[in-house]
Amino acid sequence: MISLLDIVGPVMVGPSSSHTAGACRLSRVARALLEDEPVEARFELHSAFAKTMRGHGTDRALVAGALGMEVDDANLKDALEIAKGRGLAYALKPRNMGPEAHPNSVAIHLKGKTRSISILGASIGGGMIEIREVDGFPVSLSAKDPCLLLFYEDRPGMVMRASEIIGRRGVNIASMEVLRRGKGDQAFMRIDLDAPLPIADVAALKQMPGVHRVHVLDRVAGGAPIT
Amino acid sequence: MPTLTNFSDLLAAARETGRPLDEILLAEEAAERGLPAEQIFRTFRERWAIMKDSVRRGLVGGKSFSGLVGGDAKKVMDFTRGGDIAGGSLVAKCIAYSIAVLEENSRMGIIVAAPTAGAAGMVPGTLLAISEERGFDDAFTARGLVVAGGFGALVAGKAELSGAAGGCQAEQGVGAAMAAGALAFLLGGAPEVSVHAAALTLQNTLGLACDPVAGLVEVPCVVRNGFTAMLALTGAQTALAGVESVIPMDEVVEAMVKIGEAMPRSLKETADGGLAMTPTGCRIRNELYQIR
Repeated sequence: MISLLDIVGPVMVGPSSSHTAGACRLSRVARALLEDEPVEARFELHSAFAKTMRGHGTDRALVAGALGMEVDDANLKDALEIAKGRGLAYALKPRNMGPEAHPNSVAIHLKGKTRSISILGASIGGGMIEIREVDGFPVSLSAKDPCLLLFYEDRPGMVMRASEIIGRRGVNIASMEVLRRGKGDQAFMRIDLDAPLPIADVAALKQMPGVHRVHVLDRVAGGAPIT
Repeated sequence: MPTLTNFSDLLAAARETGRPLDEILLAEEAAERGLPAEQIFRTFRERWAIMKDSVRRGLVGGKSFSGLVGGDAKKVMDFTRGGDIAGGSLVAKCIAYSIAVLEENSRMGIIVAAPTAGAAGMVPGTLLAISEERGFDDAFTARGLVVAGGFGALVAGKAELSGAAGGCQAEQGVGAAMAAGALAFLLGGAPEVSVHAAALTLQNTLGLACDPVAGLVEVPCVVRNGFTAMLALTGAQTALAGVESVIPMDEVVEAMVKIGEAMPRSLKETADGGLAMTPTGCRIRNELYQIR
């Protein structure tokens, strides 16, 4: 069952849960994946997202998320001005992603000092989001629950070694997805966890031979905060 | 163990256990999150406090981000204080409070989506109005908020709650249905009565287009929250009186999904049809965005 607190929630800055809160969360995911302070942000907006962008403050919300703001941050409405002060260059433009794409889809490209990241995601109602692509890999991520993304070289034993590191800590894997561009080429693993993985274990995953990078998403898109 | 997937499951659980709806729904949420029910209820109490505050801020007045709307909630309340009203103070408060939340939302103020931001008025508006009129305390009213959340979650399991996917029926229709179920619960209705209240309300919003002028959550969204609040009140009133929905709630939800799919994209939040494309709607859009 969908969480009751996702329905009576989020607590957010108006005016639109899909176009303001959802947009901010999509950008927050991109920022979390970048693991760096972005200096450049490019947003490509599809259909309804593009058409009603300014009126819903979608531009402000996307930039706010890239700056790391939460959906209930009262500064969200001043995000465009704040971005200038913090040295974040941003650009927004419409992009037709075709009839199959969700009307509230956006492609986000963030550039930090040393690295960059691209995601494609959709705001699917009530502030809930779904990430559909990370650096060109098709995924399905809500970014609500703790989650790991591994980019690595396709070779035998990688799934076993990763799950061993996680299992050793007693953290349960809720679900996972394994993809590759081709045999022996770059591969991708998404691991949903029932609890966050300690930093030391994430470091161990990063040190596995053949692993290019590991991203940690820990409730970036607000699994509703319980106090 | 989590077992609820639809309203029929919820009613079966209520029949088997004899427990009130809010307890069943909180227990479900607690099991799925692995947290004590009391802790989750505390969060509902906090959200209720923010909701009430958003009504209070909204009633103060002030223009929206675009300057298109604002001050209507205050107008309704001021008129009500003069005593010259059509529907009594409960009706007046339901309308004014629901509009107030949406006006605050349109100023980029802090609100609680329920289920979305554009439909955030009816649940706090009607629940606050009834709690003031009947002297319900916050702890009791927050139990109604749990019922509203549970009803919304059951619908959201079957339908995407966004104007872009399902039109306004999927936002304000669902928000009004959540409010109707909660009102019936707070007024002592049995679980079946709450579900009938929600079903009667939702079925009377089917087909509602999402055609916002200039793409803003302002016209007709802001005032519409006051109107759909009345549907919620009607739903609760009729169901409490024993009126039943001929079509069960789960089937009303299915109908809503199918209607949403059949609706043209121009009526699903793109601002390409309906009120948005009237001569006045186009003029406002052109003025706001300086399009010639």
